[in-house]
Amino acid sequence: MADKYLELVNSGFTKNLAKSLGLPRPSILRRHTPGAPLVPGPLLLLGDSSGAQELADTLLAWGLDVRRHAVGVARLGGIVLLLDELADPGELSAPMLAAGAALRQLAPGGRVVGISRPALPADAPAVAAVRQGIDGALRSVGRELRGGATANGIVLAEGVPATAPSALAALHFLLSGRSAYVSGQFLAVDSAEGKLPEDFGRPLAGKVAVVTGAARGIGASIAATLHRDGATVVVVDVPAAGDALAKVANQVAGTALQLDITRPDAGEKIIEHALARHGHLDIVIHNAGITRDKLLANMDAARWDSVIAVNISSQLAMNEAFLAADLPGLRIVSLASTSGIAGNRGQTNYAASKGGVIGMVRASAAAFAAKGGGINAVAPGFIETDMTAKIPVATRAVARMLMPSLMQGGLPVDVAEAIGFLASDAAAGINGRTLRVCGQSLVGA
Amino acid sequence: MSARTRVVLAAAPSLATLYARAAGARLTALFPGAKPAGGALPQVEHHLDGLRVDPGKLVDYQRMMGDTVRDELPSVFVHGMVFPLAMSVMVREDFPLPLLGMVHLANKATHVRPISPAATLSATAHAENLRGHRAGTQLDLVVEVGEGSEVVWRGVSTYLARGVWPGAGPGAPAEPHAAFAAPGRTASWKLAADTGRAYAAVLGDYNPIHLSAASARALGMKRAIAHGMYLAGRALAAAAPHGTGYDWEIEFATPVFLPSTVDVAFDVGAGRTTFSGWGARSGKPHFSGSITAL
Amino acid sequence: MSEPLQAIRPAVVIGGNRIPFARSNGAYSKASNQDMLTAALDGLIARFGLQGQRLGAVAAGAVLKHSKDFNLVRESVLGTSLSAQTPAYDVQMACATGMEAIGSLANKIKLGQIDSAIGGGVDTTSDAPIAVSEGLRAVLMDLSRARSTSAKLKALSKFRPRDLAPHAPGTGEPRTGLSMGDHQAITTKAWNVSREAQDELALASHKNLAAAYERNFFDDLITPFAGVSRDTNLRADSTLEKLATLKPAFGRNLGADATMTAGNSTPLTDGASAVLLGSEEYARENDLPMLANFVDFEAAAVDFVHGAEGLLMAPAYAVARILERNNLTLQDFDFYEIHEAFAGTVLSTLAAWESEDFCKNKLGLDAPLGSIDRSKLNVNGSSLAAGHPFAATGGRIVATLAKMLHEKGSGRGLISVCAAGGQGVVAILEAR
Repeated sequence: MADKYLELVNSGFTKNLAKSLGLPRPSILRRHTPGAPLVPGPLLLLGDSSGAQELADTLLAWGLDVRRHAVGVARLGGIVLLLDELADPGELSAPMLAAGAALRQLAPGGRVVGISRPALPADAPAVAAVRQGIDGALRSVGRELRGGATANGIVLAEGVPATAPSALAALHFLLSGRSAYVSGQFLAVDSAEGKLPEDFGRPLAGKVAVVTGAARGIGASIAATLHRDGATVVVVDVPAAGDALAKVANQVAGTALQLDITRPDAGEKIIEHALARHGHLDIVIHNAGITRDKLLANMDAARWDSVIAVNISSQLAMNEAFLAADLPGLRIVSLASTSGIAGNRGQTNYAASKGGVIGMVRASAAAFAAKGGGINAVAPGFIETDMTAKIPVATRAVARMLMPSLMQGGLPVDVAEAIGFLASDAAAGINGRTLRVCGQSLVGA
Repeated sequence: MSARTRVVLAAAPSLATLYARAAGARLTALFPGAKPAGGALPQVEHHLDGLRVDPGKLVDYQRMMGDTVRDELPSVFVHGMVFPLAMSVMVREDFPLPLLGMVHLANKATHVRPISPAATLSATAHAENLRGHRAGTQLDLVVEVGEGSEVVWRGVSTYLARGVWPGAGPGAPAEPHAAFAAPGRTASWKLAADTGRAYAAVLGDYNPIHLSAASARALGMKRAIAHGMYLAGRALAAAAPHGTGYDWEIEFATPVFLPSTVDVAFDVGAGRTTFSGWGARSGKPHFSGSITAL
Repeated sequence: MSEPLQAIRPAVVIGGNRIPFARSNGAYSKASNQDMLTAALDGLIARFGLQGQRLGAVAAGAVLKHSKDFNLVRESVLGTSLSAQTPAYDVQMACATGMEAIGSLANKIKLGQIDSAIGGGVDTTSDAPIAVSEGLRAVLMDLSRARSTSAKLKALSKFRPRDLAPHAPGTGEPRTGLSMGDHQAITTKAWNVSREAQDELALASHKNLAAAYERNFFDDLITPFAGVSRDTNLRADSTLEKLATLKPAFGRNLGADATMTAGNSTPLTDGASAVLLGSEEYARENDLPMLANFVDFEAAAVDFVHGAEGLLMAPAYAVARILERNNLTLQDFDFYEIHEAFAGTVLSTLAAWESEDFCKNKLGLDAPLGSIDRSKLNVNGSSLAAGHPFAATGGRIVATLAKMLHEKGSGRGLISVCAAGGQGVVAILEAR
């Protein structure tokens, strides 16, 4: 664990010191390690809707110790609330209180996942009320949890069962260590499309994935994560970053493509490389991005235009190329940012580009779905990278603890895990969405 | 030849002793009448048997000349081996000219056949052909080197004693040098300040005019000059044939002051290579010569 | 006359990689040959996904090498992600090192001995080996051999302060003492190559290289190194006027006939290059591109020591021989890559091919080889602009030409690289 503060407040003498001083004590998050159990203890399944038994059977088939009540269980690994058939706010009482009673048994790094339906304008008011209420309740659970535990929700479109592939994949992701820095978020499953992997340890086996901006930071971590999950990775970055890019390529046994993604033919170049060298192209991660921060009052055209060109215009152009090509089942994941949701002082240009990404994926979903694929975005919050490592230690510690429920910044791998999930075939039922990886930051909730 | 009296030396004379004797002779020459000026060359030949090659010196020589170390005696190395014997003729009491300050004008030699470094050699030296020169008196020093009964090397060095006229006084003034036009260079030799000392360390020729600016000034030179035979050795290392005999000759025009850069031109013809060297900076001719395969 | 080996099976140029070339004592002054060669290999491995592969062979070399670099290429391979079971060896043929390494590997592929290989080269004049003087070396060797204290003291007693002066490698030809530039100056004058013609060639090299960068030509040929992403010698804004102001740097003994300046001669440069070669089967099995066939190569050497021929004129002879063997004329090429050691070298070589006298009397031909279409010469720049890290130049040229031929989709290219010691290597590549 590279972070000194995190280490100090969680071990030995300094742990007690921090406790007695009342210092915030962020937990060491439970992150994915290959071969580790999905959750750190038995799973409590609450809710009695019609799909409960089928869901329980599926979870049992995953090798989980599934319980329908928490009595006699010392430590729970997770709590799943199946709330998809609630029709009135009054019905929320039983499952929420049962969950509440079990919260003290939740192990560090435990998981709370609610499964519900979206509140839509056409719904009966009471139905819409309970559904929207679940949203608020689960987010609040997230705020209440400690010890690196998280609370998230899965929102199933009407007609999609809780055992639909993408619903199960989302549940698997949210229960696992892969979602360590995801909390207070809702994954919307729009269809029953998708196919669960034969091996949850290698969900991307046989896939060819392109990662832009892969020379360093989050991009390099994405490449490593996709490689770990079984994909053959093509790493892309500007020619000037070629040496770092080569290192990444060699670490992930992939191929390096030096390419400026703002070139008009960037999409074609990527397709050409992937097809010629690897035979197909299944996944594209639009990760490349730049910041040119300045208060809007001081902003110049060069700063503004370059950020827009790299962060959003290039993606729009490449997506057109991808759609024009014959790339069945192509899944795209694009990097947004919480700045694009909540805004950030000095980042009008960046926020415009990242907000743009969120809009783009929403509006591109249908086109990619028509090709059997999909497009989603991940919006990271405060992620510890080479860039943020330059912020002085104290400032950094305060900055990242003030905001998120998890009281710490995320790591590049946290973003990469979310991307890996959304890039997988199992997530085919999720389309046009943006998942935040922010540790339940206050901003832009 | 046979008219000369043979003096057989017991061992190779030391050049240091010879130079010391020569220096003494030069001092005495300052006093008129002390040297038998106007005398003839002594009718003697100095002979030495049992000459063996010091293998270490041979390697040092070949390295110094930038040549490959191989089992063949370089012709100039042979010259160096027998040089003390030749010197011993010139420092005889009855030799008519002072050795120190003498100028090396030219050299020619016949390298009859390849000579093995393992050979035991004999050598015989005499002086002949005393004659006038516009600047003094010149003579030839002839050395023959034998292996058993066979002559394997014969060299003639021509020296000038400047300002000494033992015979009829100054000879006819030579025609003025034709203006020298340097040919296109094919090589360039950068000669370090210690070139003379390095040559002396290998072949023992510690003539002060080659060693340092100070020692050269003591003998009237403005700076140390390169050994003529060093220049010949460089030329032969670059162009002499191997595995066969050859004639070579070199004539010296102006001295090579150290340090300096000498531009050199080789012209390779059928069986014959000519060469010349001149000052890279000054453009003055230093030497010219040829090598002809036998 | 030997037959072209093409008949056996083709050797294919799959691609190449180099680090940007940097002027001596600049960006790479802290980098060693091994650092740079490893970087060039890393970039190539990354470009073609060779991680963990056992290649048939890696052959490369450096002209200036430290004694510790006795196994330079193998050591470099061990530092990459190639399989540690990949054999490697060092090659040295002065500035033709890279060409010789690549050509020999191509032959092995053609013969079926190996299926894949990397050839290349590296050189640094910034991290050049400095040797101790002969005197100090002798003392140290004696000292290491001495057993007793007295023998050690005796060895030490031979030490002289002047022995402390280090010996740096010279750029001069050992047998003539003339620098390569001074040698070329003789040839340049002999062929009456004008200062203007040399400056024009140098300018074209810079303009062509800059244009190639502009159109992203090098995106898949170069991997940055040590913060450098473009050849540091490149002067895109050079002009004939600026070049004309430079004073002669070589052949200054020629006075008014001295025409060779720092502008129309290559500077000392650091860098490394690598080229991936393979059989067609290897390329297909690994989904690798096939840019060009490495058709044939030929080495020649001339007797420059005593002025019989110019030091850098060997390629003129090698080209005549390779053309005859392959039944081609000098005009049968779409690209000519003539290494610009000096602008004078290129122009002297072109003049020689046009000369009836030279072609008849030196090459033994009935007629001159003739002129080439100058618009096909070094179209993406060459050493005058890119620089010339001796052993790395062959790899730069082969990779560049192979890509040009592949882009064109047809035709063939001629490579000519001169080298110290009066040598030269030429090669023919064919598009695919």
